[in-house]
Parts: sequence; C-alpha cells; structure tokens
Amino acid sequence: MNLTVNGTTHDVESGPLATLLDVLREELGVTSPKAGCEQGGCGACTVLVDGEPQRSCLTPVGALDGASVTTVEGLGAPESLSPLQQAFTHHYAAQCGFCTSGMMIAAEAYLKRGGTDDREAIQEALAGHVCRCTGYVKIIDAVAAVARGDSFDLTVTAPSPGMTNLGGVS
Amino acid sequence: MAVHKGRGIAAIEYPTGMNQNGDPSQAWIKVKPDGRIDVFAGTSDIGNGSKTIQSQIVAETIGVPYDWITYDNSNTDSSPVCTGTFASRATFVAGKAVEKAAERVKERILDIAGKELEIDPSDLEIVDGEVLAKGAPQKKIAVPDVAAAATWTYGELITGTGAQLKDFASIVDPETGEVDSPPHSAISYAACAAEVEVDDETGVVRVTRLVQVYDVGRAINPTLVEGQIEGGAVQGLGLGVLENCYPYYPSAEHRGGQFGSYLAPGFEDLPQIDTIIIENPSADGPYGAKGIGEMANNAQPPAIASAVYDAVGVWVTELPITPERVLRALEAKAEPTRNGKTFVFDAELSVNAVAQGGIAFEVPA
Amino acid sequence: MKAVGARLPRYDGIGHVTGRTTYVDDVRVSGMLWAKALRSPLHSATITSFDTSKAEAMPGVHAVITHADVPLLEYGHLSALGIPADEPLLAKDEVRYKGQPIAVVAAEDEETAMAAVEAIDIELEERTPLFDIRRAFDADAPKVHQWGNWYTHFEGEMDRRQIRKGSVEDAFDKADTIVQGVYRPAAIEHVPLETQVALVVPEASGRLTIYSCTQALYFSMGVVAAHLQVPLNKLKVVGGTVGGGFGGKVDTASETMCALLAQKSGRPVKWRWTREEEFLCSSTRAPWHMEIADAVTKDGWILGRKMLTLHDSGAYGRFSPYGLTKHSFHHTGAYTIPNLEFDGYVVFTNRVPTTAMRGFGVTSVSFATETHMSRIADVLGLDPYEVRLKNANRIGDTSPNRIVYTDPSTVSVVKALAGGMDVELQPEYAAMSRDPREGDLLPEHLVGQMANPEDH
Repeated sequence: MNLTVNGTTHDVESGPLATLLDVLREELGVTSPKAGCEQGGCGACTVLVDGEPQRSCLTPVGALDGASVTTVEGLGAPESLSPLQQAFTHHYAAQCGFCTSGMMIAAEAYLKRGGTDDREAIQEALAGHVCRCTGYVKIIDAVAAVARGDSFDLTVTAPSPGMTNLGGVS
Repeated sequence: MAVHKGRGIAAIEYPTGMNQNGDPSQAWIKVKPDGRIDVFAGTSDIGNGSKTIQSQIVAETIGVPYDWITYDNSNTDSSPVCTGTFASRATFVAGKAVEKAAERVKERILDIAGKELEIDPSDLEIVDGEVLAKGAPQKKIAVPDVAAAATWTYGELITGTGAQLKDFASIVDPETGEVDSPPHSAISYAACAAEVEVDDETGVVRVTRLVQVYDVGRAINPTLVEGQIEGGAVQGLGLGVLENCYPYYPSAEHRGGQFGSYLAPGFEDLPQIDTIIIENPSADGPYGAKGIGEMANNAQPPAIASAVYDAVGVWVTELPITPERVLRALEAKAEPTRNGKTFVFDAELSVNAVAQGGIAFEVPA
Repeated sequence: MKAVGARLPRYDGIGHVTGRTTYVDDVRVSGMLWAKALRSPLHSATITSFDTSKAEAMPGVHAVITHADVPLLEYGHLSALGIPADEPLLAKDEVRYKGQPIAVVAAEDEETAMAAVEAIDIELEERTPLFDIRRAFDADAPKVHQWGNWYTHFEGEMDRRQIRKGSVEDAFDKADTIVQGVYRPAAIEHVPLETQVALVVPEASGRLTIYSCTQALYFSMGVVAAHLQVPLNKLKVVGGTVGGGFGGKVDTASETMCALLAQKSGRPVKWRWTREEEFLCSSTRAPWHMEIADAVTKDGWILGRKMLTLHDSGAYGRFSPYGLTKHSFHHTGAYTIPNLEFDGYVVFTNRVPTTAMRGFGVTSVSFATETHMSRIADVLGLDPYEVRLKNANRIGDTSPNRIVYTDPSTVSVVKALAGGMDVELQPEYAAMSRDPREGDLLPEHLVGQMANPEDH
C-alpha cells in the first residue's frame, strides 16, 4: 500500500495491522507524532489524515491505502514557520513540547474548518488533548491569535491574554 | 438542588534548593573566535525553560545579545555536574553557577579589550556585544573583535567556570530539629484564592477562578513564570478535586490505568486564572531570583477546600474532593466534637479511631 | 537590564513547534532491541521458584536480566544523605508491591519481548499486604520492610523526624480554643506526556551511552555507576530534553536495567514504558496523613501546634526520609508559631514506592496547615486574611528549626491577594509589613522565639 506523508509518497512495508503511529515513527522516520499513551487517550499521536485529525496510535495503516497524512513537520519549517507555529512560539504554548505536535494538528484542523477566536470553542475543539505542563491557557491564546489573524514578533513572547495580570510584573 | 458559590484562600511558602543544601551545580563557558558564547551546564530542561533562563542570565551577565548564546546540557561528557532539576533549584542554584562562569568570561573579555584599547579594564563595560569605555563610549571594541584578538593575537581560550554549592545545613539536635544554618538557598512565598461552584445534588466541585500571587524574587523571564503559574494551577486543581492513584485509598484496588480512568485535568477543567507576580529579591540568587517551579501547585488544594466549605458548609479534608465525598459530607452534616475548649474535626479519620493501639495522637488536655 | 526580565522566546521553542525536538524515543540506532519487564502481579509475596531459561532460549531474545546480573543489587540513591540502601533493583526472594520488576527481557521486537516475559516461570506465595499507614504500628500488622514498618534511620537511629520548640503544654493550657483536624491528600501520578524511557548503546570503546529522560543527568549516572560498579567515565548520559518530569523522572531505574541488558546482549536496548505501566507501576506522589492540633487565642494568635505526620512511602524508602525532613522544617507554613511538637514517620506499605513530586514534602503540609488555618478563622469567627497577617513570618522571627527569617514575604503576598480579590483590609492590617515585630504584633508568647539581634 502507499501513503503520502507531508507531500511525499511512500511504499509502506509494514503489515496492515501496524498502527499509523508506528509506521510514521519507526518505518518512515517521522517522529513528531508521539507515543503518549497508545490508548487514544492523550492526543499526542494525532495527525491529519486527508485533512481530518486522527489518533494515529489507534489507526491500522491498512485502512489508509492512498491516504494523505500531514504531521507538524508538514506545517512549516524553522525558516518558514506557519502562522500556527509562529503563534505557539510567540505565545509560549509549548513547555516540554511533548504534547505540542498533536495539539497543533488538532488546532490546525479547527482553524481550517473556520474556527474562531472564541476561547470556549477552542477548548472544545482541543478537548481530549492532554497537556501536563502549560495549564492550557497559552495554548488557547495561540490558537485564538491565529484565528484573529494576528502577526507575530518571534523575538519576544507575549503576556497571556487568557490570564489576567492583576499587578506586579507585567 | 442548587449550585452554591464559595471562596477560600491560602498563603504558603516553599524553599529553593535541595533541603539542607549540599547540592552542587557547575557550568563552564567558552567563547568562539567570533565572539559567540557556548555554555555547558548539566541542568535538564523538563519543560520549565531552564535552558532559556540560564541563557538569559549569561547574556545579561556578559552583556551580549541573547541569540549569541548556545546552551548545551545534552550530555555528561561535556557538561559538568548539576545535581538535577528538582527542588526548584534550576534558576537559583544552577543559574548562579552559570552567572559565575559568565562573570569570569566577562573579566577575560574586559582584560583583553583593555589591552586592545589601552584602557584599564575597570573603566570598561560591555553593552549589547560591544566593549565600551565608561563615559566615553566612542572608545570601543566589539566583542567579536576581542574574541578574534584572543584567538589570533594572544593565544587565549576565553573561558570561565562557575560552581554553586551551599554548605550542608546539619541538624545539630535531632530531638529538636535545630539546624546550624539555613537549610535552603531562599524561600519563595505565594497566596491563592479559589472560587468554586458546588452542586449540592451531584457533589461536583467546579473551580471557576484561581487568583494567584507569587513572590519569585526576580522574574528572569515573566512569560516563563506565567507558564509555571498556569501549569501549576491546573496541577493543583487536579490534586484538589480530580486525581487519585488509589480511588479507594488505602486500598490499592481499582487503580486507573488509562487517561479515561485516571482523571488528569483537561481543557474542560480550566478555570479563569488571574495572577500577580511580586519581586522581593533574594539576597544571593542570580539577579535576586528565587524559585517557583514546585510551589506552583501547593496553594490551590487548601484554597479549594476552604472554598467548598464556604459554598456548602462541609469540610472535606481528604483529597481529591470528589463528588462522592462532598455528597457524603453533606449527608453526614458532621459537626466537630466539642470537648471543653477543644473542637475536634475529622475524628473518624484519626489514628485514634483506626489504629489498634500502635500509634495515637494525644493532645495536651 | 536587556535579557533578565525580558520576555524572550524559549531557547528550544522552534524545535517544539516544528516537531524536531529530539526526545529519547526519537533517537534511532541500528540493531536496537526492545525491553519488557516481568512485574509482580501481587502486592506482597515470596518468590518460591523462578526460571528464566525458556525465555532466554526463545528465538529473538538476546538477554534476560534478574537480580543475579546486578553487581550491586541495592544502592541507596540518597546514601550521601545517610539514607541507607533498602531496595533491590530487581526482586530477589520476595515482591513487595504490585508492579515490582522481577526480570527484564531484551528482544528483537516488542511482541517477542512480551512473549518472552510470559515464558518466564515464576511461583509466588501470597502474603497479607499492609495498606493503611495508620495500622502499620499495630502489633499484628503485616511486616512490610526489613526495617519494620517505618523508617528507623533519621540521624542514624531515630524512628521519627522530630521538631520541638518551646512548650506545647503551656500553649495548650493558655489557649482559649484548641482546633484539631485530620488531613489526607492522595497519591497522584506525575502524568508526564512522555512515559519513562531509556536507550542504552554499548560503544566500541566499551563505554555505555545512556539516552535518558532523567531530570538529573549526573544523579542518574551515579545510580547506574553504583549498580554496575563502574567509574563515571565508563558512562555517557545523553539527555537534558525531557517530555515532562514533575519529580517522577529522578528515581528512574530503567537506565540501569537497559545498561545491564546492553552489556549482556552487546546490542542497543530501549525500554519505553507503556502508559499503563506509567499509571500503575511508576512511583507516585505520596499519600500523607496529618493530624494537627492548634492552640489559639480568641483574637487569632496561634500559640502552639502539635502535629503528627504519617508519610506513606510505599514498599521502599526512596526519597521519603528526605521529603519528611523537608516537611517537618515547613510545618508552620508561612507563619510564626513558637511552641511546637512535631512527630513524623515514614511508613512502609505494600504499594508502589512513592517519590518526589512537585512540592515534595511541602505540598502536603501546605494543604494541611492552610486548610487548618481557614478552619481556625471560621471557628473563631475571624477574618481569614487577618488571622494570616498577624501570625505571618516577619523579619527576626524564627522557623521551626530555629533559622531566622531575614526576608519573609507572607505579608506581601496576603496583602496582594486581598488587593487582587478586591477585599479591603482593616487599616491596621493594610499597614502591616515584614518589619520586625513590635507593639501589638509582639505579644508575650512570641517574645521568646525572636532572634536575638546580637546573634545575627
């Protein structure tokens, strides 16, 4: 079977029951989707399959013949970061970074289907993606900023619109 | 059948550095022939941003742009010892080591610049990557040119090392716990107010708002401090109302082995988070910094417990404050036992109720 | 200041958002073997028979390690702090917690490794486990640990951590009211998004390269070196980029096990824990049991505190004595309480050993003492801000272990919180500061604990 990943088509050697996650990470060397739980519970393995976010840890690759997969590597590169990648950088939406790939894929899908900067709508779209480091506030800030069409100064990070600074250091 | 609102507060403190000290961190820095700065330190970045903070400290101390710094903490061959990223020590203890190494490097740069400019190094300063004569900034030499001179004129590797180690604070009297010196590098303080909504029919506690105050001494990077505050707030919320390895503690049965059965906080649990960051500088920390990483999840659980009492009149002192515990408490409507001037709460939880004589908690009458 | 105080971007941020940050599980080496562990299915049992030969003979299996393969089986991670070793890297004659590793297999792939684990023959004789720390001291309690059911080596030979200051008898006698309560925060899991993982590569030089998710490169290197009985330069620990730790990636044992497997097989060995292992078998935050009795005056002074803490250490000591010591030093929280009687025990139970987690030792004491503080305010009918402000640490006050506070911020943070909550404090309280106590803020019961200015 063949699979297109971030624009490159591959002949998949793994058997049909191999998970898309294992095919991406072990066979094709695309390591941004992470094995966070392999139970479908954390979202760290999420990739776009024909534009839709899917848990690659639960997807048997045999079901995907001819499909087109997008991972974070396909969103943009350091020299040409996508708006979402810029937003995650500027809004400090990644701390340890382990959940970030899956989180960004879900956010990308939300934005592509016309998602707005409404914080509740963003929370609902990303629910099911677990982050242990950030407390979620700045992730929502970043996605909302892209929805608004903000441009981003990457030499600095922003105070958090989703958190009220009541005083002291600003 | 109603949702009740409540509010509770907590004020806490937390030590920076391993308890009783004796936890070294070391760093060494070398300057490339074009003036770029390589930092080698052994501090693991667990997401807290220690690579960032330590790079900022080096950039500030030497006087060069942040993006001139490369930071390598990747292995034990090139990096010297750092006890580790815990005990909220990455900014203070490990940061102090890189600060000291950076000061040594700065001295060397000023010394060589002084030779090149024929000015006493003590009359020079480094600003934005240029060595300037204080008061006469037209006399200057760029740090890259100093580095080139070191490499090709003076035959010197511009380098500096730093080590931070606070003496072990011994317990001088094990009966009293008295120590011979402060068993920490600094103490940070914080306060939290929690606002909750408690449904008296389902017992569900919804934390709607957390107001948090942190005295971090010096916010080396305010965005990273916010990241700790927000991340800590949600973990504190988890500790307070959601998470339990042993849902039937002390029984070890029925443990949750998946994300669905172990309740780690998700987007849907996020309250409004408001913060105040105060800076009461530490005496010895780099630029007055203290730690924040660990204490960030300590103040929420008691604030939430007090808020639940404010909302529905029951004290739940076993964490997490689950719907089941709230409903049982509402049903029991327990009042403290009165014993003269003593109010005894939670008697059924005490060792006095459970132990079979092995241990007791006796209060002076 | 240009860099300090600036909202600069994360040093490694670009890698995170482009999927390029390399975590241990992203490292690729050829010839890598997968590790899986045989773990105890029971909470407490003796191992009556144990045979790995079928697993070793299985095609695709390159090495199996048991306790017999470990040069130094028990190494105390904090032995430098006087905490003796008590825990075997791999179980020998008994198992003391469900999930305890007994053997680890390295095989060509994950499935073969799992099949090999199933092929290990083991017989266990179940024993009655102990789970309730309050019952651990009873004469008929099952015995969990070779030291008994609680740690007996504080300062060498004490079976508890003690703090004594002033006279709690006097304080309780003088008190208008005594408020007593019990606080029991739970064990929780660290839940880093990256599960425990280690990859060890045997190099041509004879060294071992250890790719680790540890929070502490040198700490973990020391542990591996001690178990393997090798000098530090035989090992190279590679890491520094961790997918979340929160205290759970300090007492890692996976590096050592992979190192032994790599040495035995001559191949690189990776062990990546499943999320289920992470939830069920990895060390947790400790459950704590704290009882507090505070002697208070009707106007809200805390004259004295008596406290009993039981710390549920699980089956082995790990860092618990350190955590309890830190807990004892901070059992007065952000306040100055002059008369103290604190006793704390590290108690063993048949559950997964507990370890450090964010706030280690102090998270528990903050929960107990702050909830208790709010209770006191409620019982006395006093304002919760005011009660905290008057008892707050001030310059010149001394801590439970007799350290002088030189720059406490209790007053700052409480006043700032009031401001943030739009709570207007009474003028007397709004005017408070960290300045040394005097006048109304220096009642008789606090005089004795003040540091003598000449001494400091």
